[in-house]
Amino acid sequence: MESLGVLLLHPMNAYLEQELDRRFRLIRLWDSPPDARADFLRSNAAAIRAVVGNAGYNADSALIDALPALEIVASFSVGIDRVDLAKCRERGIRVTNTPDVLTDDVADLAVGLAIAALRKIPQADRYVRAGLWKAKGDYTLTTRFSGKRVAILGLGRIGLAVAKRAEAFDCSISYHSRSQKPFPNYRFFTNVVDLAANCDVLIVACSLNAETHHIVSREVIHALGPEGVLINIGRGAHVDEPELVSALFEKRLGAAGLDVFEHEPFPPEQLIGLDNVVLVPHVGSDTEETCKAMADLVLQNLEAHALNKPLLTPFSGKRVGIIGLGRIGLAIATRVEAFDCPVNYYQRTKKEYPNYTYYPSVVELAANSDVLVVACPLNEQTRHIVNREVIDALGPKGVLINIGRGPHVDEPELVSALVEGRLGGAGLDVFEDEPNVPEALFTLDNVVLVPHVGSGTHETRQAMADLVLGNLEAHVLKKPLLTPVV
Amino acid sequence: METTASSTADESPLVLLVQPLFPEFAAALAGRYRFVLAADADPAAAAEARVLLVPGLAPVTAQHLARLPALELVVGTSAGVDHVDLDTCRNRGLSVTNAGPAFAVDSADYAVGLVVAVLRRVAAADAYVRRGRWAADGDYPLATKVSGKRVGIVGLGNIGSRVARRLAAFGCAVSYHSRSPKPSSPYTFVPALLDLAAGSDVLVLSCALTDETKHMVNREVMEALGKDGVLVNVGRGGLVDEPELVRCLRDGVLGGAGLDVYANEPAVPPELFGMDNVVLSDHRAVVTPESMRGVLEVITANLDAFFSGRPLVSPVQLCTLNKR
Repeated sequence: MESLGVLLLHPMNAYLEQELDRRFRLIRLWDSPPDARADFLRSNAAAIRAVVGNAGYNADSALIDALPALEIVASFSVGIDRVDLAKCRERGIRVTNTPDVLTDDVADLAVGLAIAALRKIPQADRYVRAGLWKAKGDYTLTTRFSGKRVAILGLGRIGLAVAKRAEAFDCSISYHSRSQKPFPNYRFFTNVVDLAANCDVLIVACSLNAETHHIVSREVIHALGPEGVLINIGRGAHVDEPELVSALFEKRLGAAGLDVFEHEPFPPEQLIGLDNVVLVPHVGSDTEETCKAMADLVLQNLEAHALNKPLLTPFSGKRVGIIGLGRIGLAIATRVEAFDCPVNYYQRTKKEYPNYTYYPSVVELAANSDVLVVACPLNEQTRHIVNREVIDALGPKGVLINIGRGPHVDEPELVSALVEGRLGGAGLDVFEDEPNVPEALFTLDNVVLVPHVGSGTHETRQAMADLVLGNLEAHVLKKPLLTPVV
Repeated sequence: METTASSTADESPLVLLVQPLFPEFAAALAGRYRFVLAADADPAAAAEARVLLVPGLAPVTAQHLARLPALELVVGTSAGVDHVDLDTCRNRGLSVTNAGPAFAVDSADYAVGLVVAVLRRVAAADAYVRRGRWAADGDYPLATKVSGKRVGIVGLGNIGSRVARRLAAFGCAVSYHSRSPKPSSPYTFVPALLDLAAGSDVLVLSCALTDETKHMVNREVMEALGKDGVLVNVGRGGLVDEPELVRCLRDGVLGGAGLDVYANEPAVPPELFGMDNVVLSDHRAVVTPESMRGVLEVITANLDAFFSGRPLVSPVQLCTLNKR
């Protein structure tokens, strides 16, 4: 295997750098002086097939344009807001990130920052170190963390991990995200201002994109109020920083705990002197354990790419959820993997598929997938396995594909969800009462209908016929059946 | 003048104070009891007083108690009552009450806050940013994960059990040491403190200070906790051999510490001020309006119960503490 040329954009982790150097052909962008960068890239362009970036330095449009041989961007981060995804899609460049391994660290820090901000722990530490604790009893009251109403922006992996921790402090949980999730104990808000108005602590845990830029606006900060606390473990650009600074300074916002800033490593000057804010330098995932795990993911993704194997944590590609991972389900999984689609699945018993993510219920599978495929057998338990709850969890951007049996799906529910826009779209090969198809579907633009043609190819029908004939002959000749169903 | 201790319609019950009440407490309790500072009490009051209320951590010695022949109840306003001469109380058959569970939630929250702050270097990182070092010196060095750490809790009472539940939600493996195992607890009981320390990454102290527990965290325990181990103390400074703690931190025998209490408050060993792996706090774990309201309720409930002959709300078990 000829060595993969990897461009590392910035020193980010000693172990990562050392291993990239050992396993691949490593080119360090900072080896070139900043004013000779264009020439440096030009002279190395033919060799560079991979780029490793992070939260601060990543494959933007200009860099991608300068690297015609680029095949993969492996980011040492979970957030890839600085990768030009549109350009990558256009050029067929694959993108990987480092989800899951840093979830715990970021969630730990989020809750740690909330306690630190409310109970003023760093302030106490400064006070003691400055020798100001002269007498017992000169205390400032700070308010209790337990039982506070915690609101989370974004209920993905990190948001959920934050919720689980906050629940142990008897905090009530509310959230806002693109679609409602199947957690009846958590109160869903469609509007961020309402979310902020109804909580004590607001934690930013969503990804940064065009819709979430400055999602914490002046209005939201105002709704959070003089007793409210903002914790940002997302990206600086999630928050209107000048608004935040003046609100903290004027005490229109109670307190904040910030791990990220719009212009790292430069937090706003005015925050430095404030007593109602805790500032940490983007350390959300900065533990030895997690950085090593993140580095290993980057290295393994690059190796997989070089060996033409499935990527471990591809970012591009819709998340495909498969109900039933039998022969058909597995064949679907293999195909979608080639499109860099992460594969999730549900079935009665969890099997060992290291690349596929198991969910213990169909509702959770639907909530975590963009495309839901029905590929299980029809029986008592799986009748209407796709019901209203599942359809709601799949949501207005989700797509249902049914190549199983019509009765797998609660058809009237499906139809009304599609008509009302509560479900994004569907591809249907089967129906509850074939050959009758609900007429309401005919006028819809977001539905593809086919008349039970899943196995409708000459080759397959021939093979099926041969199996039927083979089974009958075996029976007559008292030989073992070819394909008995137990 | 009436010398009976029972209250009448127009005379509130007498309660002696070891030191003045916090203004908020005085306001809340005004009119319900007749408060007199013990030092200012005239002989009649001293002879009559059945209740002594101890605001804060003012010491209550055998001499104080000897001046009050009619005393029956000492009402503490804190979780720990090691500042009260409990031997004398036990010998005289006095009842002692403490803050009960009023401080447990905030203490537990604070303990967890300190665990995260020490392991993830929150206070040190905050100082780093404020000194402009992020721009000047680059990224802050890597810290260590909180999730998954082995946590040993010393004392699984009101505070310890809440610490356990919170840290379990962070994915920590929780074990505990206490005088006796708690059968209803889902956590692993470890009979010897030294074994708990040896098997933990983080040791959280949330037990009472008594003759038995004084300096329980000694050099041996700190060595067992180890160079990557972290000690968090929201109990009492006296639980730890403080000079030894400073030495162990200085020499890298112990990995780090989060301290809200000290042997001789408000004095804090200055050698700790230069350490990045230590978070120092000014005994503020329970200084919240919620805890203050809570303890006020407990104090009022104990006083009301006592004066109407009902069982006390938060009596301290004297026979099991301070065994001789």
